[in-house]
Amino acid sequence: MDNLNNKAKFFGKVTASLSHELQNVLAIIKETSGLMEDMLNFSEDFAKLEDNKLGECIKTIKNQAYRGVDLTSGLNSFAHTTDSIQASINVYETIKKMIFITKRLFQQKGVNVSITKCHKSYSIITDTVFFQMLIFSCIKSLIENFDNTTTITLDINSSDKITTIKFTNNDDTLKFDDYKQMLTKSMLWAEICKFCEQLNFKSEITADTPGILITLK
Amino acid sequence: MKIKILLVDDEKEFIKTLAQRLKIRNFAVTTVYSGQDAIDIAKENDFDVIILDVFMPEITGIDALKQINKIKPLTQIILLTGAATVENAIQGMKLGAFDFLMKPANTELLVEKITQAHALKHEHEERIRQAEIENILKTRGW
Repeated sequence: MDNLNNKAKFFGKVTASLSHELQNVLAIIKETSGLMEDMLNFSEDFAKLEDNKLGECIKTIKNQAYRGVDLTSGLNSFAHTTDSIQASINVYETIKKMIFITKRLFQQKGVNVSITKCHKSYSIITDTVFFQMLIFSCIKSLIENFDNTTTITLDINSSDKITTIKFTNNDDTLKFDDYKQMLTKSMLWAEICKFCEQLNFKSEITADTPGILITLK
Repeated sequence: MKIKILLVDDEKEFIKTLAQRLKIRNFAVTTVYSGQDAIDIAKENDFDVIILDVFMPEITGIDALKQINKIKPLTQIILLTGAATVENAIQGMKLGAFDFLMKPANTELLVEKITQAHALKHEHEERIRQAEIENILKTRGW
């Protein structure tokens, strides 16, 4: 029941953030078309405006329409992850989409999250919603535990036997012991361990470059 | 004298377009893209009305509202909000915002609110001026 609540909460949060962005897109489309109308209605002012202003307006409408399509398709595929409990997913593509749709939530905290391009296609059969919640929790824990975080990088490494996802916040001001202590005492770390247990993954804190390493078994 | 407006939103395309629409309607418009820039520019200028987006990265519209109210208490603030942040906008009203509008806002309604907000600011300024005159007259025994 608790898991179900967490799923719903997570779903709601992301959907709300995306719908906010959609509202901004609509606002821009609306204002731009309104401006075009104004240009025609206030003909004197129209004459004062720079050349090709109408062309610029049309370009903006077109760009924002594309942005709207990207966001709604992101929302759509995210919503579909709840369709079945277990599904086969491409790890890199799933995480990439996940970062795209949650981008604004992290930008609100002044953090940019990116994933290093992974050319190897690796798929697993897993609970997609829990998988995404795990990724979200890892990113969130690096943001909430370390105030200086401005960028988070995700790296996927795949060998014949195992695939790992590494989360680093590029904060070299902390020593490994302090880093580990701060992470492990947080509630989010307990949440990460719980997700890993449910998904049959392994979570650890790495010493070479401090970060979270998730091993997909 | 044109009404001086400051538009604040991190959505650049939105703010640029809205600014043009307001300029066509004879307002003097300045635009900035963050709460911090709004606070900084408000310190240096005397805007009649500030139109502030609620949901912005780092310094939110509500945080900016609190700061600007301290710096320029007579400047009227209209909040722009999405459905998800209506509660924040209501909180903003309690903190002294003139009004709030849902995004995307009806331009004519926005213009109406700006005019009303400007009239209120003008009324406050007149009262202060009147009180100052009365005070001078009183101290001189007239």
